[in-house]
Amino acid sequence: MITRVTNWLDERIGWRNVWEAIFLRKIPKVNWFYTLGSATLFTAINQAVTGILLTIYYAPTPDHAYDSVQYITTQIPMGWLIRGLHHWGASAMVVLTVLHMLRVILLGAYKYPREVTWFSGVFLLLVVVGFGFTGYLLPWDQKAYWGSTVGTRIAGSAPLIGDWILRVMRGGAELSAVTLARFFGVHVWVLPASLILLLAIHMYLVIKIGISATPGREEKA
Amino acid sequence: MNEKRTIDRRGFLGFMTWAIGGIISAGFGIPAIAYIIGPAARKEEEQNWIRLGSVSKVELGTPTLFKTEIERQTGWITNKEELSFYVFTENGRDFVALSNICTHLGCRVRWIADQGQFFCPCHNAAFAKNGEVISGPPPRPLDQYPVKEEDGQLFVLGGG
Repeated sequence: MITRVTNWLDERIGWRNVWEAIFLRKIPKVNWFYTLGSATLFTAINQAVTGILLTIYYAPTPDHAYDSVQYITTQIPMGWLIRGLHHWGASAMVVLTVLHMLRVILLGAYKYPREVTWFSGVFLLLVVVGFGFTGYLLPWDQKAYWGSTVGTRIAGSAPLIGDWILRVMRGGAELSAVTLARFFGVHVWVLPASLILLLAIHMYLVIKIGISATPGREEKA
Repeated sequence: MNEKRTIDRRGFLGFMTWAIGGIISAGFGIPAIAYIIGPAARKEEEQNWIRLGSVSKVELGTPTLFKTEIERQTGWITNKEELSFYVFTENGRDFVALSNICTHLGCRVRWIADQGQFFCPCHNAAFAKNGEVISGPPPRPLDQYPVKEEDGQLFVLGGG
């Protein structure tokens, strides 16, 4: 029965080819460091699932942000778990992204023909850091407030356009309701859209080109 | 099936991938369901006697509207909420407290003195002074609340 349904679908949409290209593709014999990219992808999925769940209760205004986060943590069943997974998952995602990049650097996997994969990865790193920076403010507690005050001031220390950057980030001179709302908007709309786009390019290239083998010594002729 | 089923390394790893993936998905899915339905599954807060006002305000034979404010905790916000009740008595001793919420779809009904009936403007429903449905779509009479009189003050038992 199931085979009939899957065959019926395959005849019409050809999913089997896609499935085989993604999951049954041939790879060289590699080591466990080559799983760091998949691990990063897993944390990204974790962040997406738990992040969507958090938006069900979170309210991005100075009047309600802190209270709504406390409500999630203390009143909602499993709220502590969802928030905890998002909180720790964020750190794990940054760490894994960096480790994944280190593996690519140290094993020379960024070289021809995989330069574009590397470029998309560099932009993905920026997106991940952006997620971390904007997400840090959202609980609207002391740590969040002062962390973002310092963070935006650091961005403001750039020469010439620094003050302008700071004002654009904060939506004014001070950290305010405007700042919280725009950080939230960037965190849940702009960055996820960028992440999906870049991830699609990154994964397409990984699958299309195939992954690099571990570098070995030149065979002696 | 009589064929002897052998599991090779490839099949075993494939099966384990699905199994572990399934466990992880359940690990997300089950807490997610609890998280989403949590506030809906919460029990209603206990009922309290709510003070409406002086008994002397109730006119004999005419439903009289009482408004009162209660504090209600919704999510992370404590709101003041206005509750309204129509109190009605024929003899000044036995009181009936009616909700002013139409039993059809929740609009507010009001007493029309000329016609001697409650009227709901949303779908032209009419209720008699004791809350019975006279005409229109409501499925049941207006809700009644337990009411008591203490030291010349009226109280109803309602959700706090």
